[in-house]
Amino acid sequence: MSMLEATKLRKSYGNKFNRQEVLKGIDIRVEKGEFISIMGASGSGKTTLLNVLSSIDQASQGTIWIDGHEMTAMKEKKLAEFRKQHLGFIFQDYNLLDTLTVKENILLPLTIAKTGKKEATERFNVIADELGIYEIRDKYPNEISGGQKQRTSAARAFIHEPSMIFADEPTGALDSKSASDLLNKLTALNQKRSATIMMVTHDPTAASFGSRVVFIKDGQMYTQLNKGDQSRQIFFQDIMKTQALLSGVQHEH
Amino acid sequence: MSINQLIVRNLKKNLKNYYLYVFALVFSAALYFAFVTLQYDPSMDEVEGSIKGAAGIRAASVLLIGIVTIFLLYANVIFIKRRSKEIGLLQLIGMTRRQIFKILSLENLILYFGSLVIGLLLGFAASKLVIMILFKITGVDAIASLSFSPQALLQTLIVFGLIYVFILLMNGLFIKRQNILALFRVMSTMEERGKRISVIEIIIGLLGIGLIVTGYFVSSKLFDGDFTSMTALFGAMIFILASVIIGTYLFYKGSVRFLFHLIRKQKNGYLTVNDVLSLSSIMFRMRSNALMLTVITTVSALAIGLLSLSYISYYSAERLAQQIVPDDFSLLNEKNAIALKQEFDQQNIAYSEKRIEVVMANVNVSKIMENDLEGDTFFSDNMLMPVISDQDTEGINVSPEDTIFSGYNDAVSKMMPFGDSGPVELLGKKDKIKQNYIGLERDYLLPLQFTSGGLPVAIVDETVFNRLKQDADPALQNEFSEYIGIQLADKTELDKANALFQEQGFDDTLQFSQLEAVNGQKQQMGLIMFIVGFLGLTFLVTSGCILYFKQMDESEQERGSYTILRKLGYTRGDLLRGIQIKQLFSFGIPLAVGLSHSYFAVKSGWFFFGSELWAPMLIVMLLYTALYSIFGVLSVLYCKKVIKDAL
Repeated sequence: MSMLEATKLRKSYGNKFNRQEVLKGIDIRVEKGEFISIMGASGSGKTTLLNVLSSIDQASQGTIWIDGHEMTAMKEKKLAEFRKQHLGFIFQDYNLLDTLTVKENILLPLTIAKTGKKEATERFNVIADELGIYEIRDKYPNEISGGQKQRTSAARAFIHEPSMIFADEPTGALDSKSASDLLNKLTALNQKRSATIMMVTHDPTAASFGSRVVFIKDGQMYTQLNKGDQSRQIFFQDIMKTQALLSGVQHEH
Repeated sequence: MSINQLIVRNLKKNLKNYYLYVFALVFSAALYFAFVTLQYDPSMDEVEGSIKGAAGIRAASVLLIGIVTIFLLYANVIFIKRRSKEIGLLQLIGMTRRQIFKILSLENLILYFGSLVIGLLLGFAASKLVIMILFKITGVDAIASLSFSPQALLQTLIVFGLIYVFILLMNGLFIKRQNILALFRVMSTMEERGKRISVIEIIIGLLGIGLIVTGYFVSSKLFDGDFTSMTALFGAMIFILASVIIGTYLFYKGSVRFLFHLIRKQKNGYLTVNDVLSLSSIMFRMRSNALMLTVITTVSALAIGLLSLSYISYYSAERLAQQIVPDDFSLLNEKNAIALKQEFDQQNIAYSEKRIEVVMANVNVSKIMENDLEGDTFFSDNMLMPVISDQDTEGINVSPEDTIFSGYNDAVSKMMPFGDSGPVELLGKKDKIKQNYIGLERDYLLPLQFTSGGLPVAIVDETVFNRLKQDADPALQNEFSEYIGIQLADKTELDKANALFQEQGFDDTLQFSQLEAVNGQKQQMGLIMFIVGFLGLTFLVTSGCILYFKQMDESEQERGSYTILRKLGYTRGDLLRGIQIKQLFSFGIPLAVGLSHSYFAVKSGWFFFGSELWAPMLIVMLLYTALYSIFGVLSVLYCKKVIKDAL
């Protein structure tokens, strides 16, 4: 069963006279439990794709179905409702509220869904433990490191057990150690909770943690790679090669 | 793009952001010009004739300048800090400080003097309205004429020109002191957020609340007779002021945060969107704005307090007049009374006459005095009071053993309260007449000449009165021993009767018309109320603007949070509800504290000003709150826009 299905997705900015087309008819399908990465050069439209798929931005044309709901037919209020229950987000710049503590930040999605206080605390304990941020629960975001912030952000994305998690360059601001730490945790959560994750990245290492990589070029799907049974190392090599082909720049690897 | 184009573009953008600043500037310029025009207006002589009208208005205009200057300078600081990034950028691309200063000055010049011109035009138009309001409240009968005064224009231009120079100086200093790096950092260092509460803050928080409560407590005891000497009273007042103001500062510095922290702790991390937007945000912000909020709170408390007091006086003018002149016309001279009555008879004005014979006597009231003031300030064992017979009163009948007091001034009765009953002694020249004091009536029966400024009248039985009359001490008696009161049967003829009374041209000070007394009171209190009212209004507008600018800044800074929350799935409505709560606190806390301060201030001494506390005070407070809320609503609207653009 597919978790997300988008057909003939188009998105353009500007007015009638000065139109800039960013997405030029993309079809994409994500199965339940998949960890899919989207790669592409700057300006290829990958972040726009993510925004449109996650309902933060409106598509100009095309349809999007998530978990059996047609997103493109929903009104703004309904979309917000849907986001609150079915979607989780992780962003490059963490997007934590600096006036709230780590725990308060993580519990935020549960308060929208009006989950009971006791259950909320239990869920928090489990996820904070898994991501190793239980000890810093009463600290404020500006008192913790970037890696900890991103794990907090991840915990927030997972805590309400959404159908689908969107991650926009989650490792973009992290050093490689924190980045692989986070990705390992994400993979673990992906397997353990069979959560569907879609991640936009320009980092081949990050992309190699997923099970499939989709390449975008000039607003269109360029190609895609499946990890299958190969090891992460080999998958990484494949990604590098494709990326080189895509950009026309040869990497020394 | 040339520098001129840059200026024009900046202006366009600023005008949209700062329409309220422009409004406040226009408003204050208009008000100032109106005031100064009033000061030079020939028709003001009408008001000036009876009271020092122009002097009061001149003093008010000086205060007005003070308020406006502080407001404009403060607003300027907010604006320049907001634009510090832009200034840094201009420096980064190689503009000299002098050039940047020039750009800012030119922009300010256009914005400032543009508003000033509009303000002057409006002010000229409004001055007629203002003078009409003044005449209306003070009850002066004059036609408000509109005359343009070049003097007023010049004075306004000079004053606002000087303020402009001050603003330029400040901008210059700001640009000069900052280097490029610092300019980029201003925003982030302006406010601290995301820090945990420390023990010291908890102590500060508790201390703040404690100090305010102590101040309130002492103020309620102020005139209860606990402070007997003038020095002690004065010391207590200073103490109250200091304790409340410092308490207010600490309240903003720590208490708000401390209280919110307690609430938050209780929630154990489970915060709803309303909590997120209101509680957690305000917790950090109030602290960094403590000084500004303290000033705003204190001055609004002052404004509300003074307004309430002057309105109480104005409101109680009639009752105060009754105290001075108990009947429509009070006369102490037989000849004049006959003349006036003749006049009334001729004009067919129906009236009733009452005569009260008065004996002045010392009365020993020390046994019924509830708190004994220290002996040397006041002699409660021989208080000089007018004594009358119950025959001369309407509806009061006392037995030969009893005495009733009537018409005790509110202020004096607070200082020297009487018990419900007890023994008193009427002291004649030789004899002492022992009497039972059985109660206090509210009515004023005799004019001020008899009551030495607020003491009650003693009513005794006819026999006792006659005994006292035989034994009266001649040294204590006034030159007149009879009071003649004339009441009109038909109150609508009061104006006509009053005109006749005026025509008589009685030259001595032994007869009064109640209407005249009321008008006199109203004129005096009306002018004070007018001045305090307009100053209060100016202050309200300017402080409301400052809070609005602050909120504008905050919502810009919180735009990121709005984005996150909307991405997480909160609707605009959810966020707006949170914002409304936040604005309720941001505007409501200073307002509530200000109202409560002024309430206690008014309550401790209102009885010196009039006889009615609640109605006038509540009217003033409600009006202030309503006008003040406009700014809260405006900032909610602004936030609404920010939220809409956030995703």
